[in-house]
Amino acid sequence: MIPVHEFLIKDEKVFSGALGCRGCGWSLLVRHLSSILGENTVYVVPACCFSIISGPYPLNELKGNIVHTVFAAASATATGLRASLDRQGNKDTTVVILAGDGGTFDIGLQALSGAAARGENILYIVNNNGAYMNTGIQTSTATPYGAVTTTNPNGEFKRTWPKDLMGIVAAHNLPYAATCSLAHLQDLRRKMEKARDITGFRLLMVDGPCPPGHKTDPALSISVARLAVETKLFPLFEIERQHYTLNYIPEKVLPVVECLKYQGRFKHLFTDESSYILEEIQEHTDRYWQQLLARAGMAGALVQEAAP
Amino acid sequence: MIDEPKTTTAPAAEETPRYRRHQERILKGNFAAAEAARLCRVGFVPAYPITPQTTIVERLSEMVAGGELDATYINMDSEHSVFAAAMGAALGGERVFTATAGQGLFYAHEVLQAIAHFRLPMVMCNVGRPSIPWNIWSDQSDSLSQRDAGWIQFYGESSQEVLDTIIMSYLLSEQLNIPVMVVLDAFYQSHTSENIWVPDQELVDEFLPPRRPGAMRIDLGHPRAFGGLVPPEHYYKFNYNWWKDAQKVEALSDEIAGRFARHFGRAYGNVEAVNIGPHTRLVLVAVSSITTTARGVIRKYPDVGLLKLRLLRPFPKASVLKVLESLPEDAVLANVERNFLGDAEGAIQQEMKRALYGSRNFRMLDFYAGVGGKDVPPLTIEKIIYRAKNEPKDFNWIDVG
Repeated sequence: MIPVHEFLIKDEKVFSGALGCRGCGWSLLVRHLSSILGENTVYVVPACCFSIISGPYPLNELKGNIVHTVFAAASATATGLRASLDRQGNKDTTVVILAGDGGTFDIGLQALSGAAARGENILYIVNNNGAYMNTGIQTSTATPYGAVTTTNPNGEFKRTWPKDLMGIVAAHNLPYAATCSLAHLQDLRRKMEKARDITGFRLLMVDGPCPPGHKTDPALSISVARLAVETKLFPLFEIERQHYTLNYIPEKVLPVVECLKYQGRFKHLFTDESSYILEEIQEHTDRYWQQLLARAGMAGALVQEAAP
Repeated sequence: MIDEPKTTTAPAAEETPRYRRHQERILKGNFAAAEAARLCRVGFVPAYPITPQTTIVERLSEMVAGGELDATYINMDSEHSVFAAAMGAALGGERVFTATAGQGLFYAHEVLQAIAHFRLPMVMCNVGRPSIPWNIWSDQSDSLSQRDAGWIQFYGESSQEVLDTIIMSYLLSEQLNIPVMVVLDAFYQSHTSENIWVPDQELVDEFLPPRRPGAMRIDLGHPRAFGGLVPPEHYYKFNYNWWKDAQKVEALSDEIAGRFARHFGRAYGNVEAVNIGPHTRLVLVAVSSITTTARGVIRKYPDVGLLKLRLLRPFPKASVLKVLESLPEDAVLANVERNFLGDAEGAIQQEMKRALYGSRNFRMLDFYAGVGGKDVPPLTIEKIIYRAKNEPKDFNWIDVG
């Protein structure tokens, strides 16, 4: 354990003045990431909240080059940059993509799949806040079942399950992919360090707190992120060449409502006639957790889980 | 007796010179384009197959695999990704080449804009074909619909011209930081063998230095942000600077062509006039391989001239006005269109009207010929001449059937 008085970030690699909303996860994520990757890094940013947060022209929040690029092709732009750096002998420069869930699950998925399948030496970070937040909370295929967005308003809340992005990237036989939470900083930093030191296409998916989009209290961002892990809504795991490792198993069973109740985007579900939706989310969450246990070769744990 | 039309630059066949420090080879147009990219020592080639372009990138992959070309060749997942990778590598400082056609160019539209707005130099070849419903044959609707994407556009009449234009284009592009598209005709050029003079590597190296560092290039020692949200006053100024440089294209292209002629022995203008003078009653305006057909046909018509457009974007207004200077006011222009863009007028007529507005007020007739790959044999050119002279109409489709 690191003593509480010791800061995790020893050498700050971002400038002050980032344009994030209160309680947004992007700045915390990028502060940790940049402190681990150092200045010999080129960031590639498709359209997403971070393209605004990092500052308008000519500002740059980061102590590293940022290339802002078209929404659908961050992975392809990074491929070209990687190739040019390699040709010029800069093989130790890290090329890292900072994307949102829309630019990853939806419009950027083809370019991501192409780069992953080619084994490009790129680190892909997806801040998954579960909707197009930069344009004002529109549904993406990462939006959770039951959530309200501006394009799934009120009674027309989202009634399809989000994509299993980690399953999709695992199918590309990546050397490394992992999920991370800002409530588990030491786990997050270990994964960032591990991803930094592996050659090939690596992907980290970070649970992205978003007070305006999730309708949460900005002061509770980290608490809600922690509850997402405790309720198994956002499990922490790693995938190495399709081998799964679960990094955190909650000590006690906590129902999903304990996390959902802090998020206004689910508040319409807390009525008698909608309670079955909450049950469906609980069942889906349990099923995914059991699949993860099975993929991680923890079938015994699965039996133990099932026994009351 | 028919007078032989006067040709300004194209040498007659029997006068074909033996170029020093060249090899004469029989090459299809696509292979000539690949040879040009090799000679320009391109460092990065992102690729995606599409007929009739495919053999360009196939040949380049073969060159890289065989060690003939020291480049990074990557099979991308789409044309959108091809151009995004090209953008990344150009920002990284590499000399980039790629090729596409039709749907591929349409699909890449967003990134074409981005590359131009980033002011990145590169050269690409487009082998023209139109949009779905599926058609793979010669048509310039793809590249002409991208006239406004911010790329310089050249259209090659012969595969020799394509090869030579690619070499000249790197010089032009890297001097102005504006990307260049070199267009060749599907099958008539891409898959047709011609005698091509391929210059020696040293000859090209003397002409084309390695890419120099530009302003739009990442520097690991001095990190910056590229392409972030640009406030209106800066965006306005960026476009003003680009506009100023776009004004230089026509003259600089001429200057580079002059240097090329002295160095390699082959001369090209932004436009070419054949048999245009005070005696000319009708001028055919054409691009690409249709020009060659028209060149032959007009030999029988002493009062018919030909205006070939080689540079199409930015439109070479000064060059066009200059070669039409001696044309009488009552002469007629027949614009030959191998494109259809959804308006009454085809792209060539739109450009010609734009260029002549306020200067010369020639009657213009628009002839759609060759759309969707429809063959344009000498007979079609004869029909255009006949109709222009005897039954002139504003808009004409030949042999609709």
